[in-house]
Amino acid sequence: MPSGPYLPTSATYLKQSSLLLQAYPDTTRITTKYTFPSKPPSSSTTKSSTPQQPQPPSTTTAPPIATLTLKTYTPEAGICLKYRTNKAAEVGRLFTALGLLAGGTDITSLDSGVASAVVEGADEEGTGTGIGAGAPSAAATAGVSAGGTQGAGGKGKGGKKKGKGGKK
Amino acid sequence: MSQPLGHEEFFTSLTTLLTTTSQKTRGSVYLTQKPLLATSPTESSSPAPPSILIRATDGNTNAPNPKTHPNLKDNKKKQRESKVKLLTVVQPHELETFYARYADVCKAGMTGLKKRDRKQKKAKAKGGAGKVVKG
Repeated sequence: MPSGPYLPTSATYLKQSSLLLQAYPDTTRITTKYTFPSKPPSSSTTKSSTPQQPQPPSTTTAPPIATLTLKTYTPEAGICLKYRTNKAAEVGRLFTALGLLAGGTDITSLDSGVASAVVEGADEEGTGTGIGAGAPSAAATAGVSAGGTQGAGGKGKGGKKKGKGGKK
Repeated sequence: MSQPLGHEEFFTSLTTLLTTTSQKTRGSVYLTQKPLLATSPTESSSPAPPSILIRATDGNTNAPNPKTHPNLKDNKKKQRESKVKLLTVVQPHELETFYARYADVCKAGMTGLKKRDRKQKKAKAKGGAGKVVKG
């Protein structure tokens, strides 16, 4: 399978996946992988005589953290989109979104309800990837403030228009 | 190959699969969803939305490692038998109910992921020690 790009936020991933599903509804598949990191071979006890012996928790005190990888793949177009997270808090939202995608819901055109919840949730969770999460709200604020100043300067109509556009 | 399971049975088996993997902190679980197309080739614009096929497998990653279990190395058949494969079919009108349950099962089973609590505690500790981390 071709390896695709990892998208920075779940919102981006879901939007792009939605577009892909619209373009290729019959062949696009979504795979969710819940995986633990493979242990380095040095840490494993290689005692062939007692294979069932549990490994002593010697050096590794903290349990390994699993990863959840979402992958949308279209063989027809050879497009592959991926998103990766290790936060338990994201699981519920992601699966709800997958359900919407499976039902053919157009996430990109949904401007209220779940879609915005998905996007807002991404803002909340996306502290690790601040650029993607912070940008939309910053843009909205900029649009509003620009509208405000222009309105004060006498160009009321233009300012209002810009303000609306920026707000969404 | 294997037959589709009923939703109840699927969720029960999936819970077991996820729990086992989480407890072992080893291996993977693969969940796939794709439209189940009609066997007879139809026109491109099908009137009814297709059912969704849901597959779950451990990809045989829960099998003993052949490196540490050399006696199992050559027994390919036995290895293949240990692979877990589940599948179920969801009708379009069942999607919402199914996915609500699916999300819950996965939330409950994927305990190996980072917990929210731990993260918040860490953030708080950091905030107390020095600067507050920007949200």
